[in-house]
Amino acid sequence: MRDVAILGQGLHPWGKFPEIPVTQLCRTAVEAALADAGVNWRQIEAVAAASSRFSGGKGWGLNGNDIVEDMGSTGIPVYNLSSGCSAGANAFNVGHMLVASGQHDLVLVMGGEKMPKGFVQTSGLSDVTDPEYLRQRCVGLPGPGFWAILCRQRMEQYGTTEEDLAAIAVKAHKLGAQNEYARFRNEFTMDQVLNSAMVNFPLRLYEICPVSDGAAAVVLCSPEIAEKMASKPVWVASSVVATANFDDGIPRHLACTIGPDNPHHSEAKLAVSKAMSAAGVAAADIDLIELQDNTVYYELAFPEEWGFIEPGTAEQWVAKGETMPTGKLPINPSGGFQSFGEATTAQALWQIVEVASQLRGDAGARQVPNAKIGLAQSLGLGGNATATVLRV
Amino acid sequence: MSGDSIVSAEGLFADTIDGPRLLGSICASCKTPYFPRSPGCHHPDCDLSKMEDASFCPRGTIWSVSIQNYPPPPPVVCDDPFQPFAVGMVDLPEGLRVLGRIATDDPDSVGPGDAVELILAPLGKDESGSEVISWQFRPV
Repeated sequence: MRDVAILGQGLHPWGKFPEIPVTQLCRTAVEAALADAGVNWRQIEAVAAASSRFSGGKGWGLNGNDIVEDMGSTGIPVYNLSSGCSAGANAFNVGHMLVASGQHDLVLVMGGEKMPKGFVQTSGLSDVTDPEYLRQRCVGLPGPGFWAILCRQRMEQYGTTEEDLAAIAVKAHKLGAQNEYARFRNEFTMDQVLNSAMVNFPLRLYEICPVSDGAAAVVLCSPEIAEKMASKPVWVASSVVATANFDDGIPRHLACTIGPDNPHHSEAKLAVSKAMSAAGVAAADIDLIELQDNTVYYELAFPEEWGFIEPGTAEQWVAKGETMPTGKLPINPSGGFQSFGEATTAQALWQIVEVASQLRGDAGARQVPNAKIGLAQSLGLGGNATATVLRV
Repeated sequence: MSGDSIVSAEGLFADTIDGPRLLGSICASCKTPYFPRSPGCHHPDCDLSKMEDASFCPRGTIWSVSIQNYPPPPPVVCDDPFQPFAVGMVDLPEGLRVLGRIATDDPDSVGPGDAVELILAPLGKDESGSEVISWQFRPV
């Protein structure tokens, strides 16, 4: 296996664009990534794309084929990857392998999405045998309710307050306001967050990410090309995909077995620990983390579950500003999902683009000073997770 | 037809002579419990999937709970006009953590650690006006 570098990257800003086809969002991101890489479309040897079930893809999730047709069919192989909200980084993982293995020297990784209205919904709701249908019909637990149950348990265990939760939303929007690609560019006060509608106690509207449209693209290349063409290459130190352990205590359908440990998203912990091990880095080496904050809860739970900080201390880290770009443990300098919203198949790739921007020193007002190593993590329905470590 | 009662799903619960029960399975080989019934054992360390029908305990403890504060879209069934309701994860002594509506008129009053018992009760009416009966957990 050989080293792999990010040669170029591009985004279409996140937002709601009912009048723009998803292929156009994708084209904006792809053209930006090709221009950033300094290559043209005909040089791309393969495409790894995140498969959407919401938009484009010919109704079958063949989103990579849409991109190839739109950019100009050249006969190259296309890999369409599906893993819910982590699909963008699954595609990145496959693109990385295609280059690392020596099979290709220049590969495009792509994710684009237009989301339906409302909170993100699970699939299978018209099939009475589908576990997701049963969960909604027999109990009634849309996505935010699931996150709220986990959050409520944390309040019980560690005394987390509603103010602790609101402080994370305030911090996220302070950063998102400085990010030209974020959907929400305005700051919120504590009072505004605490007065936003209660969705699922204890989580309020401004503490849960909405759904958005957006697109992200990355060009991966061999070390020979990186050394020739990139002024400051960003190297992929590791790219890992994981799924959940059987008994992690998180009921993903109607029930689960109660495992030996505290319940946690084992898929995320596995992906992160394997990625750090494969990259040969420890928590202290990581200069910033982009983690999947579908709600503010995850910004508290994940750094603890992954061993970056002591359990029950995350609220203090946030309160002291240590998770801001200038703190000891910068988390989501992009503004996170709170500022972007969830464009499912694009977002894991956008997180990687943000980390790469930080390592290149291109992040402007939200720049993490002197960032050398960064971690991006995603979590997808069905017990999917990814972790990517980048370095310069 | 309006006024009927239907179950939220077939084969998931029953009103037995001993009271309401959740219907699931236990692997006779590795003792892993499942709800709903499972045709096979999913435990990665179990090489011998021997599934037997099982019915689960009428009592448990709330592991955690939230309140559904906004009216969710179908197929969720709830009161009309909408009333916020509590939804929780309940730990059963057989080693299962089960999702369920918490049957209470005061969703703010329930929390982790509360003892609950299994009941079969209506969640509300569906699109055709039928009462939808499902398992729920009532504080005791």
